[in-house]
Amino acid sequence: MNGNRAPRFQEGILEAISNAPGVSGGEEAVRAILADYARERVDSMEVDPMGSLVARIEPARSSRGTGSPRGSRRGRGPHVMLCAHMDEVGLMVTAVEKEGRLKFRRVGGIDPRILPGQPFRIGARGVRGVIGALPPHLVPRADRDKVTLADDLYLDIGASTREEAEERVSVGEYAVFDTTYEAWGTTRKGKAFDDRAGCAVLASLIQRRPPVPVTAVWSVQEEVGLRGAAAAARRVGPDLAIVLEGTASGESPGSPPEEQYPYMGRGPALTVQDRSLMAHARLLDSIQETAKRHRVPTQWKRPGVGGTDAGRIAISGVGVPSAVVSVVCRYIHAPAAYLDVRDAQRTVTLIWRTLESLKKEWP
Amino acid sequence: MSPQPSHLDSLLPALSEAYGPPGRETGIRAALRRALKGVGATSEDALGNVHLHIPGKGPRLLLTAHMDAPGVIVTRVDPSGLARLSILGQSSAADWIGATVTLNGTARGVVGWDRPRDPKETREIEPEALYLETGLGSRQAPKEITVGTVGALLDRAERLGNLWCGGNLDNRAGCAAILAAVKNARGIRNDLHVVFSAQSDLGARGAATSAFGIEPDVAVVLDVAFVGESKGAGDIALGKGPCLGLKEEGYLPHPAALALVKRAAKAARVPHQWLIRESGGSDARAVRAARSGVPTALVAIPARKTGGPRVFIHASDLEQTVKLLRGVVTTPYTGEKGSR
Repeated sequence: MNGNRAPRFQEGILEAISNAPGVSGGEEAVRAILADYARERVDSMEVDPMGSLVARIEPARSSRGTGSPRGSRRGRGPHVMLCAHMDEVGLMVTAVEKEGRLKFRRVGGIDPRILPGQPFRIGARGVRGVIGALPPHLVPRADRDKVTLADDLYLDIGASTREEAEERVSVGEYAVFDTTYEAWGTTRKGKAFDDRAGCAVLASLIQRRPPVPVTAVWSVQEEVGLRGAAAAARRVGPDLAIVLEGTASGESPGSPPEEQYPYMGRGPALTVQDRSLMAHARLLDSIQETAKRHRVPTQWKRPGVGGTDAGRIAISGVGVPSAVVSVVCRYIHAPAAYLDVRDAQRTVTLIWRTLESLKKEWP
Repeated sequence: MSPQPSHLDSLLPALSEAYGPPGRETGIRAALRRALKGVGATSEDALGNVHLHIPGKGPRLLLTAHMDAPGVIVTRVDPSGLARLSILGQSSAADWIGATVTLNGTARGVVGWDRPRDPKETREIEPEALYLETGLGSRQAPKEITVGTVGALLDRAERLGNLWCGGNLDNRAGCAAILAAVKNARGIRNDLHVVFSAQSDLGARGAATSAFGIEPDVAVVLDVAFVGESKGAGDIALGKGPCLGLKEEGYLPHPAALALVKRAAKAARVPHQWLIRESGGSDARAVRAARSGVPTALVAIPARKTGGPRVFIHASDLEQTVKLLRGVVTTPYTGEKGSR
């Protein structure tokens, strides 16, 4: 019975990679943690030319198998690419000013309204800085309801001259929200749950040999245009793809309940359609039926919004049947997101059971 | 070798009413595969494109038309039982007002619009203001219609004098023209691949993967073009023949591919017009950029919008397009050498 259990969600990995910096294009620290974790558990692993971590793991030799020779396609099931992106939204330092202040640009979709007053960690050494904002005492009455434009904001690392600032920070370095992972009840708080939640779910799935051949891809540069996964998909050439995401909860107090979905804590969210993808109908059916059979609660992601790596994987080469399964998180693309750790476990379980079904059902 | 009007007369209405919103082209796929029986072996790929191969000795020619039609997707069901919608693809919210929509077997309904109270309100109509009334009521509707349910326009093309009028003629007219051209075609001088592509309205997704797989030597993309959208070479008109595309967003014709189409038009004595689009585009951009690039031409059937869900197409434009395509498949492609 024990061998038939779905793998357990690895919360330690989520904590480690949530705390690590990894703005699009600078995912090294996150990749290093995942590579250390995966190395002993997979059959082969490489960092591809874009920087994505690509690991291949062969299925367990099944005692219930059809007796077909090892290596033949039949009986092994489809080759599935599971993909989660390592990068997070953040800032890039673009100039050091005479007075020691840092100008920056946003990398990925950050609402400029949430920036003033936020603490950040800059560069590999994690230099602390805050985005300068005048206290309310000094804001003219007429400006109190206004938001400072992102172009007018600056990072302050407490340096008073350019020389002093340049000793600690250099142009081109990335900055991430200065947030530390925490846990209470079933709630987990941290930065970059979009998509470190998906990365940790994927890591959890490779603890044991999967039911079908799997290539795990932890991709780069999703937040700036789904770039890493597009390149990886061409290289991997899978039969199917499932993208694992941390997606936005729709909860907003005061709205009618039917408008607030999906909810944190109510199970993995399934995508029918977003701006990048129409989920493959049969693959989506298979995931849904698996969820019903194994009593994993699921909900729908809101159609028509967002885009994921799946959109690019689906149209790579001659096309790849693709779907997206997400852990619903509150407050993504912001300093601190929340997720329910039960949703993370349910997502691991759902994907594992789906791989089992695909082995039998997919031609 | 004139096309048989009787064939198109039954084919076009049948194709126009088949269910096929982008990414869920189940009905049209089945209808096309039925219509292709006896023409050649068909197959379906990961994106849902329908492929047909008629092997031949010449260069590999891809003839393609998208088969998906405008679609909607349910974003929620209000307690009152009205389904709220988001639009799949490029159609505008206004195009859907008054349309009959089928949710592929689950239910059917009519699209309404929350008209602003202020009659002077002139803002653009947003999809959020649309609703689908299915008559299922507040009890049944939330049970039977789930978030993510996909719908398509339910409409059958009809003949009005010399015109065809229907909701899904973009691009079922193009599909019908290709079918009519390859059915019983004699003297095909190319290795012919036909693709009815999926998910065109979502950004030429199906055409991209098909062209990648086929690696054609030359491609002709068939679509429709609307009166009022061509700039620079004079506007297009109904009844003056198919349009040859000169420019779209992300696409310029390859001289050798364009020469092939022009030569076929001349030989078949088919009049043509020019299409110059400043914004938006067909599958042509995805096909021409596949692999290391494919010499590609675009042929578009003129159509006129009504401001509602239906459009008009001139029957003679459709017949002339069939003649032109017959010419294309029977003209050997000579590549760059024959282009000037």
